[in-house]
Amino acid sequence: MSAITRPEIGVMAKMKAPSVVEALLAGRLPALAARRTALPIVELRLAVPLRRSEVEHPAVTSVLTESLLAGTEQRDRFALADALERVGGELHANLGDDQLVIAGSVLSANLGAFLALLNEVLCAATYPEREVRADRARAADETEIALSQPEVVAAQALRRRQFAGHPYATTMASPAALRKVRAEELRALHRQLFVPSACHLVLVGDLSPRRALSLSEEALGPFLAGRGRRRDDIAALSRAPFGPIELVDRPGSVQANLRVGASAPGLADPSWPAFALAEAILGGMFSSRIVTNLRERHGYTYSPHTGVRHARAGSSFVLAAEVATAVTGPALVEARYELARIVTAGVTDTELESARRYSTGRFAFQTGTLGGLASTLARLSVNGVGSHYLASYPAALARATKEEVEAAARRFLAPRDLVTVVVGEAASVHAALSLLEEVRTTRR
Amino acid sequence: MPDRHSRATNFARAKLANGLSVLVAPDRSIPLVGVAVVYNVGFRSEPEGRTGFAHLFEHLMFQGSKNVAKVEHMSLVESAGGLMNGHTLPDLTAYYEALPASALELGLFLEADRMGGLALNEENLANQIEVVKEEIRVNVLNRPYGGFPWIPLPALAYDSYPNAHNGYGDFAHLEQASLEDAADFYARYYSPANAVLVIAGDCEPESALALAERYFADVPGRPAPFHGPWPEPPLPGERRKTMHDPLIPQPAFALGYRSVDPVGELERFVAYEVLAHLLSGGDASRLRSRLVFRDHSVTDVSCHLGEFGGDGLLMREPVLFQIVVHHPGERGADELIGAIDEELEQVADKGPDASELERVRSSAVAEHWRSLDSILDRGHTLASLETVHGRAELIEEYPTLLSAVPADAVRAAAADLLAQHRAVLELMPGGAR
Repeated sequence: MSAITRPEIGVMAKMKAPSVVEALLAGRLPALAARRTALPIVELRLAVPLRRSEVEHPAVTSVLTESLLAGTEQRDRFALADALERVGGELHANLGDDQLVIAGSVLSANLGAFLALLNEVLCAATYPEREVRADRARAADETEIALSQPEVVAAQALRRRQFAGHPYATTMASPAALRKVRAEELRALHRQLFVPSACHLVLVGDLSPRRALSLSEEALGPFLAGRGRRRDDIAALSRAPFGPIELVDRPGSVQANLRVGASAPGLADPSWPAFALAEAILGGMFSSRIVTNLRERHGYTYSPHTGVRHARAGSSFVLAAEVATAVTGPALVEARYELARIVTAGVTDTELESARRYSTGRFAFQTGTLGGLASTLARLSVNGVGSHYLASYPAALARATKEEVEAAARRFLAPRDLVTVVVGEAASVHAALSLLEEVRTTRR
Repeated sequence: MPDRHSRATNFARAKLANGLSVLVAPDRSIPLVGVAVVYNVGFRSEPEGRTGFAHLFEHLMFQGSKNVAKVEHMSLVESAGGLMNGHTLPDLTAYYEALPASALELGLFLEADRMGGLALNEENLANQIEVVKEEIRVNVLNRPYGGFPWIPLPALAYDSYPNAHNGYGDFAHLEQASLEDAADFYARYYSPANAVLVIAGDCEPESALALAERYFADVPGRPAPFHGPWPEPPLPGERRKTMHDPLIPQPAFALGYRSVDPVGELERFVAYEVLAHLLSGGDASRLRSRLVFRDHSVTDVSCHLGEFGGDGLLMREPVLFQIVVHHPGERGADELIGAIDEELEQVADKGPDASELERVRSSAVAEHWRSLDSILDRGHTLASLETVHGRAELIEEYPTLLSAVPADAVRAAAADLLAQHRAVLELMPGGAR
């Protein structure tokens, strides 16, 4: 192997941002389309931002996602599923922090028929009584199963703690609330939600963008004829007050689920690209400080990581690690050490250059899949950020200076601005945690 | 509608003198390149008394090689703007990166360096044993339904060690793993002749093949080892087992049947795939429409081919056909199994009609394409198909195969399931694990 040396990475070719065609269908519905020919399918997203009352009452919204496809005036559930599958189509509804998204995909040759079915669902979903009764019971059963997962318990506890006083503190609907949802509430919510001017449509795949948009305008005609307005009424997030470690007791746990939360800059905030680089260095990359320390040096955990979630009212940062019960104390100390270190001692030039390339490549990868590009465009649209972000974000990553990255870390990740939640067996982990600071124990 | 879905391939192949198979699958639609190396070894090859070793070894492959220090593999890939991962399945172990096209050579260098020799020490081995134990705690021990049914179902449905044992491994076995074990395993299974290299995405075939030759030609050749299959006789009678999990709110059960050899009997295997879609592929499918939406007796039902979360198409025989049910416990498992048997009998008796078959094929074809959206997944899928079937073209041909399955083959697959003795594994709330 003497002839072989480690290759230079070379100059990273400037990646061409995908070209996105935008239109306001029927003068009302904002729509984006982009061409990607790697696979013979088209990905679709129809996103609706939720209002405060809808976020605060998740039971009705949750059951709506189960019952949206339970039947239309033309077809029952099975005929609708049959028609979708026949064109190689798939549709489902997801509930996010503050938006509801109808997501799906179809064999590209059948896009027109697929859009016609979406129109049918939007205009004529019936929420049959019998189906709703079964769907809400199943939603309650699925919630019971979800709440038995420690990661879900940890995410809920962090929301309550981090967003106290804001609609985002609302956690998953309880099984009891889900079991009470009535079909007429779903019909009312459906009318309230699916107003063309409040929705955001995205199509990505083996298509001609202009033709796909005019096809959408035609196939969704009856839906687009609908009027009505929705106003965004969710107040901006404020920072969580400093407080004790929240320990959620889960007897029998063989691991502790550590979560450290903070606020983060939004997609349109000029400091976001710099913060993204700081986050990559801290815990976003596999070769980040958190993974190198907690996993590769200490073997405390399998997949520690950090991440940022962008929602309309504000963005948030989280550090997550599932660690063996016996090392709960030391693992939290190491995680907090890395947070404090990036804030007080900054980053190195080498780390910054790695993070720059990583974040640029990661973004190209994320927007290089049909589904990833569709979801990214929908998120941008809902957050009021134009598709120019596909080019401006990599450019901003390339420009961000060391000072900007360090300043962004200091602004959001200072130890005094962090909230800590731990899910685990209190009898085994309380003593170690209470050596660090005050601990407030709750049952979930 | 078959031909609409079949797309031409423009693959280029080479075999190096040391035995390494190289495949290039160009796709210029995005400026990224996927590099994947699949070794023809998985859980089924790991020695007795060393359960979990193939997967532990996958972790060790990231701990450094001749010219690459611990953690440096990840930092080099990420510093080049790339992503990487690996996974271990019953019959193969895959390593893969997605990189900007300009960093293709780095990906080849890293894979060649660890194919040419690892740099292991006691400290890194001990560290990765702890990391793997945490992985098992996250995914199995601390998780409701953890490992269900993918760990206990093969143990019930098979008798021979290669097929039945827990590929995640017993903690006791993991803790005994030594550097000598690693050296033996590496020498035996990680030779170029036992591997396939795939370069997919934004590249030019001639120069990609030349780069593969440049980086891999000097890796010393060794003979390829035995890699299965490990066929087993059918079960002599039905097997039942009930397990308990104190963390779960609702009971569940899984049925395990033998399907057919995906390599030797691909057409019959694809008919099983169509049967799985027909039974549980969407809300109109037979088991979902009846059990979930008409009877309201189960929360979820799903059928699939494959073990340990992997795709059965990427296995050698035997491959399980599994039916997994989560239910509120209002009806007993036997009553629900009775309903499943009735549906299977319907299919075995009359088969699907042309209209139902057409629907199921379209839905299966679309799902196949959806699963290949990322260049990372396309890379290792191509390499895995080339490893197991010697035919990466299946990635494009599979939709045509799905579309060609006749109703009678689906009927026959259902009849096969009914004719054999199955494994029935129940998981009940409460008790201790």
